[in-house]
Amino acid sequence: MAGRWRRWNAAIHRDIGYLAAGLTIVYAVSGIAVNHVADWNPNYRLGERTYEVGPLDKGREESALAADLAARLQLKVPPRAAFQPDEDTLQLFTKEGTYSADLPTGKVVFQGLRPRPVLLAWNRLHLNAPKGLWTYLADLYALGLLALALTGILILKGPKGILGRGAWLAGIGAAIPAAFWAWWAWLR
Amino acid sequence: MLPRALLLVLAATLALRAGEWKNYGKNLTVKEETKISEILAHPDKYQGKKVKVRGVVTNVCPERGCYLNLKGDKKFQQLQFKVDDGVIVFPADAVGREAVAEGVVAVTTFSVAEQKEMCPIEAKALDPKFDPKKIKGPMKVVRLDGLGAELKN
Repeated sequence: MAGRWRRWNAAIHRDIGYLAAGLTIVYAVSGIAVNHVADWNPNYRLGERTYEVGPLDKGREESALAADLAARLQLKVPPRAAFQPDEDTLQLFTKEGTYSADLPTGKVVFQGLRPRPVLLAWNRLHLNAPKGLWTYLADLYALGLLALALTGILILKGPKGILGRGAWLAGIGAAIPAAFWAWWAWLR
Repeated sequence: MLPRALLLVLAATLALRAGEWKNYGKNLTVKEETKISEILAHPDKYQGKKVKVRGVVTNVCPERGCYLNLKGDKKFQQLQFKVDDGVIVFPADAVGREAVAEGVVAVTTFSVAEQKEMCPIEAKALDPKFDPKKIKGPMKVVRLDGLGAELKN
């Protein structure tokens, strides 16, 4: 009887493991990617160019300034919109990115973001950007991980099982986040 | 033959979507729009109130898509619509598109310590002159705690 449930447990662990493998890779890779968001942009590559178009008369209306700047930059497609965050700066928004002009000097910096195709998709799924159906699929995956953890600790019996060496390792694994939280929340 | 038909269907779908509005977050419920300039002129009057505003997107969080700035109806003005990470994820290509956004007006004063802990990109979006090495004192911010938004394709 004991052997039968352990065989079922191993089979469930194995099959859920196969099912969860793909999404685990997605979550693991994007987890590392978004963890280091302070050091790099995991979703987009930033492209930057500079132009010199000559000083622009900042006394004019924003629309006139925008038309002048677009002409000097020889933009083939009209910008989506323009904005002056302050009196010395004019921004032109295009599909490809933003041109920011320093009006007194005429120096223009273009910044465009190009998506990192695979990572952007994985990160968006990780952060549940699609919402709706994806919320339930991600819940299902989380339940799968829970099942993997519970069935995993019961796979082996004997001295390497959860009543032996496994208890120590599982205890260390659980203690690491608990100890870190205690230090971070109350002791630091 | 089939790939061409698929491309035509895709092109037609994209053409139909142009000009459409796409919803992010909760559906909009407030009927009347409030001018951004009105909120910025009287933040205490609007603090804690749910409002709907309209404007061109001037900035989007390039890392997490967790905020967007909306151009005000008066010169040099913009208002930030902010959500917690992952609640709504705005695409970076929203910049320059028209948006209608709904949220609760929040007037917050960030202490020096809080500014040092802030995401520098978000802080710079709130104040383009923000420099974490040159924080002089508390920073008062008026923004929307975002609930939902619609972006024009």
